[in-house]
Amino acid sequence: MAADDYQIHAYKKSFDVLSIKIAGSISMDNAERVRADLIRIVEDESLRDVELDLSSVVYFDSSGVAVLSDVHEACEKFHNELKLVDLPEKVRALLGDQGLRTTAYEGILQPRKQPSILVQIGEGLENFYTTCRDILVFIGAAVEGLTRDIANPSRARWDSLSRLFERCGTDATPIVVLLSFLMGGIMAFQSAIQLRKFGANIFVADLVGLSIVLEMGPLLTSLIVAGRSGAAFAAQLGTMRVTEEIDALAVMGIDPMRYLVSPRIVAVAVCLPCLTLIADIAGILGGCLVAHFSLDITPTGYFNQLHKVLEVSDVAKGLIKSFVFGIEVAMIGCLRGFQVRGGAEMVGLATTSAVVTCIFMITFSDAIFSVLFYYAPQIWK
Amino acid sequence: MVCETPRMAGEADGLPIIRVENLTVSYGEETILQDVSFEVFSGEVMAVLGRSGCGKSTLFKAMIGLIDNVTGKVYIDGELVKPMGEGGTEHILRKVGVLFQSGALFSSMTAAENVAFPLRQFTKLSERNIERIVKMKLAQVGLSGREHYLPSELSGGMQKRAALARAMALDPKILFFDEPSAGLDPVTSAELDLTILTITKTLNTTIVIVTHELASIFNVASRVIMLDGDEKGIIAIGTPAELKKSCSDSRVQQFFWRSASSEAKKEEYSKNS
Repeated sequence: MAADDYQIHAYKKSFDVLSIKIAGSISMDNAERVRADLIRIVEDESLRDVELDLSSVVYFDSSGVAVLSDVHEACEKFHNELKLVDLPEKVRALLGDQGLRTTAYEGILQPRKQPSILVQIGEGLENFYTTCRDILVFIGAAVEGLTRDIANPSRARWDSLSRLFERCGTDATPIVVLLSFLMGGIMAFQSAIQLRKFGANIFVADLVGLSIVLEMGPLLTSLIVAGRSGAAFAAQLGTMRVTEEIDALAVMGIDPMRYLVSPRIVAVAVCLPCLTLIADIAGILGGCLVAHFSLDITPTGYFNQLHKVLEVSDVAKGLIKSFVFGIEVAMIGCLRGFQVRGGAEMVGLATTSAVVTCIFMITFSDAIFSVLFYYAPQIWK
Repeated sequence: MVCETPRMAGEADGLPIIRVENLTVSYGEETILQDVSFEVFSGEVMAVLGRSGCGKSTLFKAMIGLIDNVTGKVYIDGELVKPMGEGGTEHILRKVGVLFQSGALFSSMTAAENVAFPLRQFTKLSERNIERIVKMKLAQVGLSGREHYLPSELSGGMQKRAALARAMALDPKILFFDEPSAGLDPVTSAELDLTILTITKTLNTTIVIVTHELASIFNVASRVIMLDGDEKGIIAIGTPAELKKSCSDSRVQQFFWRSASSEAKKEEYSKNS
């Protein structure tokens, strides 16, 4: 709208009354200007009551009501009265029965004040307690559901299992192969620079083989699956929670734990060791390729050396780890999905939380496994 | 043949504010609407009726540019509406407020922040004045005192009303309502009708409502458009009272008779009991 889309005419009607006549439009485009002009006049004439004549206003929207509220408050500040005269019917209707009372400024759009540090600590501890309790309850329910399904497979709901195998396993294979191959190559390349100095080129096979099979294979694959499947489970089940699909399952007499969680745990627990095996092979091949081109080691020499150092138990250790990581990833993804309350934002938070928790749990349990695999044989002897 | 009754004198005698010309909408192979044309006049409350699956919501979405694969033209306030993906429709959309069937409130924002959102996006109003407008709009829909509530803390009806307040935030020239009464109790539904009438009266807002509620139609609609899934278009257009009285199309009569028969049944039941 143009700059002159309104006119304000103020004159002293009597000794203690100031009359202000507004003509033209008061819209969201010019409301701030109208407000500033009116407030200036009211403050300049702070000893007089104000009579506001809106009879010549041709357009008036909700912002006009906001302007009038501001003028009303400015008058009240100087203990003056604001009187609206000759209100057009539409303005009267817009003001409604409550007039300017509903629009009193209270700062409702201001960011909420942060609670004190003590309250935050208390809330944090309460959340921690609730989360621990939820995790234990969830683990209990999941184990119970899974035990029932395994004990009575004919009554289990495995219909979604093949689709889950495809999504968690087959679909993840290309990225697992690619990343593991690159990881094997990178490790071989980095170690080649150092090993060459000592003439110990051939030990690149030992380094790549053992680190891929014992650590990098299971860890890298688990992290990929956590990012793909863990996040997907949290988002999917979270959305199902928001849209009451999980409640719908429950009222149909179908246990959501058995219908949704058990197949996911089985799918990831089976797929992850398989993917780890593929990752081991891809990583070793990546190492072999780099060793051949940067250290002049023949593939035969590389695999002979690998055969000397690598044992079946090493591969088994990696697979055991990835089996446990798989159960963790599936359970965390499902747990975070089940914990969603509210709307879309909570689904997003649950997804993020699922991935972060998976990474933490995988790394933490990997540390435990490392200690366990080192000391267990000694204790066994 | 389209059953058409004349517009009533004095009712919505403004200029056409929405013009739909030969609108055809298809999803893949299936055509939902074929060559639909009509006009909505300024200040009018136009109800779009029809059985489930006849294309009411599709027509509603096509009119505001939410569907890409359409042929034909839609003009809002004289300007051609392009699909949202093509951009350049912001100035048209400022004139339009939309209430979606689900409410579509932003779940991370409080009711007040939801209503403030379009005001912050499209105007240069101060936070102080935005708050005043927000409070006014929430009061208009009966949500005073619930400004701080998140959508998840509001009931279904309250969510719908908060969404209505958001749709009305910019005092748009045109309001589109997609089944506003769905999921609401009769009292809230009647209150919503009253709010709709107040909006039209105070701001001369044109309203397009997609609805099944016959009571609402007779309470608020100046004219109705009836769609039919088999015809893939309009089978009747006119004032609800005139259509009920004079339209001979059995599908139209069936729609209105359902209300008449249920009212008669209710009367009979109350007499017997």
